[in-house]
This record gives sequence, structure tokens and C-alpha cells, in this order.
Amino acid sequence: MKMQNIEMLRLQLNNLVTQARYDIYTLSSTNDLSMQNQILQRLWDSISSIHFLSELLANQAMNCTQQTLQPYTNHQQISSGSASSNPMNPQSTSRMFTLEELSKYDGKNGMPAYVAVNGIVYDVTNNKAWAAATHFGLLAGKDLTKEFSSCHAGQQSILATLPVVGRLRQ
Amino acid sequence: MSQHVLPPEPMTNEAIASRLTNLAKKKIRDGLIKKKNLVYLELNGCSGNIISLLNGQNPDFEYTMNSMVNILYSNSLMASEGEQAIQRLMNALDEDYILAVEGAVALKNNGLYNIIGSWKGEPLTGLKAAKMLGEKASQILAVGACATHGGVSAAKPNLSESVGLQTILPEKKMIKLPGCPVQPDWFLGTLAHLLLYGEPETDNLGRPLMFYSTLIHDRCPRRPFFDRGIFAEKLGDKTCLFKLGCRGPVTRIDCPTRQWNGHVNWPIGANTPCIGCAQFGFPDAMAPFISYDTTRVVKNE
Repeated sequence: MKMQNIEMLRLQLNNLVTQARYDIYTLSSTNDLSMQNQILQRLWDSISSIHFLSELLANQAMNCTQQTLQPYTNHQQISSGSASSNPMNPQSTSRMFTLEELSKYDGKNGMPAYVAVNGIVYDVTNNKAWAAATHFGLLAGKDLTKEFSSCHAGQQSILATLPVVGRLRQ
Repeated sequence: MSQHVLPPEPMTNEAIASRLTNLAKKKIRDGLIKKKNLVYLELNGCSGNIISLLNGQNPDFEYTMNSMVNILYSNSLMASEGEQAIQRLMNALDEDYILAVEGAVALKNNGLYNIIGSWKGEPLTGLKAAKMLGEKASQILAVGACATHGGVSAAKPNLSESVGLQTILPEKKMIKLPGCPVQPDWFLGTLAHLLLYGEPETDNLGRPLMFYSTLIHDRCPRRPFFDRGIFAEKLGDKTCLFKLGCRGPVTRIDCPTRQWNGHVNWPIGANTPCIGCAQFGFPDAMAPFISYDTTRVVKNE
């Protein structure tokens, strides 16, 4: 099992290196600025991934992978980025929160981070603008309707990318 | 200037600043552009920006001060002292000059919380100097977090009632270079751009786009860890520092590619989270800088 994993990583690494070599070759032969930028961006991404995979390999080699490098199993929890499809299942929207209940979800001590805007409760646990469950001095676990409208008025698209977990009891 | 003189920054690590300053050097050497006068005023702050500037490499600091600009006044670096120094500051008013200001403006007691010298027996406050010089400057650079929005000097409880430079010069257009401190390239690159082409293109907050256009998060070498949900649990861990409170996802600046101290390293490279020092609102809006009791273990959800 483990050997298979390492073989997989090796394959991925080789693919990335091939890609990078090809990119470097193309870069040296093109004068198209916009293309150069695209290729540079891809090179940057490749190198980042190579870095990631090599770290993974090094950790496996040192046999301490279990603790630090065990990816979350629940992918929904992680990728707020892919949550643009808004997983609004019927169960989650029907869940009701009082302000007091909401305040428990402050992102501290293992709790997820929720915030309410206009009566809807959103999960910001893995949102990139909410590092450590804080955002420009605001804390999670609160009704932030006023704060949202004062900074992001008319930017409903921000909310549309957040997973909905329920509604706030008024 | 044609669009192709300045390629977007990812061309190389230090592309922009070196390209700009090399061109500025060449044109000065060929006599195509003239040196400009520079007044560098240090107000209510820690002088961290001028110290950071001493580490400049594109070009080095000595070259900048001797060959690119004519430095008329600098609290830290000039040889004159006392009223003699302030005399030079006053003389500057008769000429055309670029004003660079670091540090916040202390308003309390009519500015008496920050005195930069004395003039004709009277204390010269930072407030008075900034107003006087700001009104007449051909261009103004607000250098560092304190100058751009108050920064550390204006952090709660703000005993000196410090404000950013724009507050006392509301009508003046200024280029803002937030950062605590400013990376030498951001300042020297902007200065070179001013000499060569005039004002650089800025965003709606006055920051030059050539440095402040991309989020740290988007270029972070640890981005793959974020995308896979692998987070550091303590300082020193090599994975994504998001759960410890990293402000990379909201901070627009080029630290990941530019780096510091002659491109040696940068905070995330040294395993500490970004504290968002190049962000308006720093430090208060960026606190807490580090959190250990967050969502890294999701128990009951």
C-alpha cells in the first residue's frame, strides 16, 4: 500500500518535471509577452506542487507522516474554494440557530467558525479571508450583517461562495 | 511609455525594481534625466523604514542617495544637527522636491507629542513640518504603515492621537507604500519610476500596482498545502499557516517572490505566519497575529 503511494508520488513528480522542462523550453523560444506570463505562472504552480510532493515524500521517508500530513478526510470541510457550488442541502438550511448557539461556533478549540449575515448562517471555517476565525478584527460566532453591509455592500457574490449551515432565529 | 517597458512582476524575482533602477541609473549617467531633490522626513514612528532602506540593493542605498536624488534633509542620515539641520529643511521649501514621509503624524497637544527639531527657539512639531512641506511638494510618498494609515503609532489606545499623513493633507495626492517596514525595493522602485516616468499606476488606495497587486496567498509556496487542507499546528511547522492566523490571503504585496534582506528569506519562509503588515488597518485589524486555539481539530461537526 505504502509502496504504491510512493510510486504514485514519483509519477506525479516526474510529470511535473517534464511539464516544467517543456515550459522552460517554450519560454526560451517565445517572444509573446502574454504567453510568457502564462507559462511563468504555470512554472510557478509546478514548482509549488513539486515542493509539496517532495515534502510529502521526505515525511514518508522519515516515517512521521501519520500525524502532520494526514489530509482531512472530509473534503467538504476543506475546500471553501470549491464550495462555489454552494452545498445547500435541505438539512443544512433548515437548521436554526439562536444568537447564543451561534456564539459557540467561534472557531476556537476545535469548533467550526460560523457567521450570520441577513439571517443566514455561513461556515467560514476554511474561508481564506478568515484565518484563525478572524477577519479584519471581526470574530466568528456573531451576526455580522451590519459589518458586512458597511464593507461589502452589494457584493452578494461573496456570500454566494460560502457554505450555508442554517438560519438565524430572529 | 509603451505597455511593454514594464512587464508584470512574475518575470523574475526582482525584475521590476532592478529594471527600473538600472534604467534610471543609465539615464542619469547619460544626462537624460535630472536628479531630483528629496526630503525624507521621519515623524512619529520607529525609523524602521529608513533602517530597512539601508539594506536596499536595487540600487544600493549609497548610489540612490548620491546619484539618483539630491537628499536635502533626513532626520537620521544627515550630518547637520540642531537649527542648522532645520535650516536645510527650510531651504528646501524654495526648491522643487519630492517629499517622502515615514512615521505617523501626532495630533495631540497641537503636535507636541512629536518634535523633530527647533526653529528660531520654537519647537518644530512633526505636524507642522508635514503640513508645511506637504503643501509644497511636487510628489509625496507615504512610506510605511505609520505614514499610510497610522500603523503601529496609531494602534490602540493611540496616546499621541497619531494619524496617517493623508488625514492632515486631505487634498494632496500621495503614493502610499504600506508595510512595516517598507521593503527597500518598494520605495526605491517607486522613486525610480517617479524620476523616469512620473507617477506609477496605483490602485484605488494609492498603492503602486507594480508591487501591491497580487495577494500573498496566490503566490505562497505553501499554497498546495492550503488547497489540500493541510495546516500547521504550531510555529515552525512546514505546512500552511492559515489556521494559526496567517494574513497572506488578505494582504496584497509581492513578498513571496521579492523576499527580504537581499532576497534571502521572508516570514513564511521562516515558518511564521504573515501578520499583514502591508495591509491598511495593520496592526489592530490584523490582530491576533497568532492563534493556537482554533479550528484545526473539527470534533463534533
